[in-house]
Amino acid sequence: MESKNVILLVDDDELDVISVQRSLKKLDSEYELFTAYNGIEALEMLQKQVNEGVHHLPDVILLDLNMPKMNGIEFLRVIRADENLKHLKVFVMTTSGEEADRKTTEQLGISGYLIKPLNFNNNTKRSDSMDGFVQFHLRKILASKHLQ
Amino acid sequence: MKLATQIFLGFSVVIGISLTDSYVNYNLSQKVNRNTDYVAKSETIIRNSSRLHKSIIEMQSAFRGFLLTDDKAFLDSYHEGGRVIPKLFIEQRSLLLNSASQAAKLDTITKLHQEWIIYSNKLIEAKKSVKINPSLYVDLFENKLRKQVGKKINDRISLIFRAFDRAEYRLRESRRDALNHSVERTRTYSVIFLALTVFIGVLSTVYIVRLITRRIALMVNLADNISKGEFAVVKDDKNDELTSLSVSLNSMSETLDKNIKELEKRNKELNQFAYVVSHDLKAPIRGIYNVTQWIEEDLGNEVSPQMRNYLNIIPDRIKRMEDLIHGLLDYARISREKPLREKVDVNTLVKDIAELIIPEDFKIQTFGLPVLITEKIRLEQVFSNLISNAVKYSKSDVAGEIVIRCREVNQFYEFSIRDNGIGIEPQFHSKIFEIFQTLREKNAKESTGIGLAIVKKIIDDQHCTIGVESELGKGSTFVFTWPKH
Repeated sequence: MESKNVILLVDDDELDVISVQRSLKKLDSEYELFTAYNGIEALEMLQKQVNEGVHHLPDVILLDLNMPKMNGIEFLRVIRADENLKHLKVFVMTTSGEEADRKTTEQLGISGYLIKPLNFNNNTKRSDSMDGFVQFHLRKILASKHLQ
Repeated sequence: MKLATQIFLGFSVVIGISLTDSYVNYNLSQKVNRNTDYVAKSETIIRNSSRLHKSIIEMQSAFRGFLLTDDKAFLDSYHEGGRVIPKLFIEQRSLLLNSASQAAKLDTITKLHQEWIIYSNKLIEAKKSVKINPSLYVDLFENKLRKQVGKKINDRISLIFRAFDRAEYRLRESRRDALNHSVERTRTYSVIFLALTVFIGVLSTVYIVRLITRRIALMVNLADNISKGEFAVVKDDKNDELTSLSVSLNSMSETLDKNIKELEKRNKELNQFAYVVSHDLKAPIRGIYNVTQWIEEDLGNEVSPQMRNYLNIIPDRIKRMEDLIHGLLDYARISREKPLREKVDVNTLVKDIAELIIPEDFKIQTFGLPVLITEKIRLEQVFSNLISNAVKYSKSDVAGEIVIRCREVNQFYEFSIRDNGIGIEPQFHSKIFEIFQTLREKNAKESTGIGLAIVKKIIDDQHCTIGVESELGKGSTFVFTWPKH
């Protein structure tokens, strides 16, 4: 039986949240999207789900790095140290092109590091725009989930 | 101790020794002269003594000859002796003023000789008047001559002369020894003083030269380090003229160190600032762009043509903003990042850029472009900015043409990029390299005013130069140098 994809989006930028929502709507896929605007909020959400039962934990976490209160790297460090959460699949989705950020997150354990496009050139391919980017990668992420 | 004092001391010691040497040598030479005089005087005395003795003997011979032969010729020789001998006595006596024993001997000889003269004169007179008074002569002859009175006197004279000569010979020998000794001593002292002077002179020179050389070497080392960017200080516990130089050098080093650190910090902050600003500027525009797209998507055909027109302006302006931000990012990155050095075939590089940037009706020609090892990205940025400028500022009614040449100038390649575009008025030639300076009106979308600023900064970073030759309407030629290595 195919279960619904449960996605947790941790991003403080409302536009990114909307973009993900719109992209998911366009993809012909069953999903459930939770959103948190920073690391603390996301942790609380996960903790609540752990208390209710492991089945409700997200299949995929899309994690922004630059966030207030608790940033992506701190969040990743906390869940990797938590027995109940350390297996979670995390994709980093950030505007940071800093090599140090990529290294740190890869050492903590991630399934992918996606740099959000910052180009708005009308002439370039669709996948270079934010919506195109999100759709392209979400399709891949969700497909990899099905293949398991 | 001050260096001047040390040098002065060294020289003083050397000069002091030389002076002492001269003084001692002077004294010794006086002694040598004195001894030489003594020896010479002694020799004169001996010579005089033998002359005197000879004259006395000759006089005695003449006396005997006259008595025996009665030949008056002997008397000439006798009287000659009587004239000469007193003079010789006086001369000899004057040479013996300092020698009492020798003078006493001479005085005895003088006395004996006078005794003999009285005796001989009597006999000669008697012999001359022998015909008148023969008994006197016979008496004298029998009582004096026969009894060898004269001979005894003469024997005593000879004896004293021998003693005199022996004593004088001994004196002469001892004086000659003294002379040799003093000459020897003068020679020894001279050698010792010369050796001492040379030794101390060389020693103090070596000491001072080494001292100065070591100190200067330390400072040269410091200056070298400063030129390499290491701002160390030299330790100097001496207190002399060079100390003030090292103190100045140290303070220079410290000031430079402080200023350069400060400058590096400022530069880093500035680059960081530019990077963060341009990076953060992108996020809101990205939002605006997304929202515009969503509006277009969601409204679809409900949008009026006028509204669509407005909506189309937004991406254009966003594109311009993006170009500006990219330009700023690139500009900030030039000093922030040090790109990889790799082998670059400039011909290929230019062709690749041309393929991306220039339209089909544009013609591009290259002559003698080299292959070199350099920071590829930077050279690429220079060429792509200059070529895209040539395209942007081409004449609309003439087919575009770009000619790129290269020639070697010492350690550099000199590239020139000539176009047949609209050209630049001479008063703007230096202005175009300043950031945000564009000669086009603000709404022209291609022109951000950063491209040439980037080119200029890259070329400045390579310690090279760029310039432009152009006249309005007659195209432009950008000429820049680039290091061969």
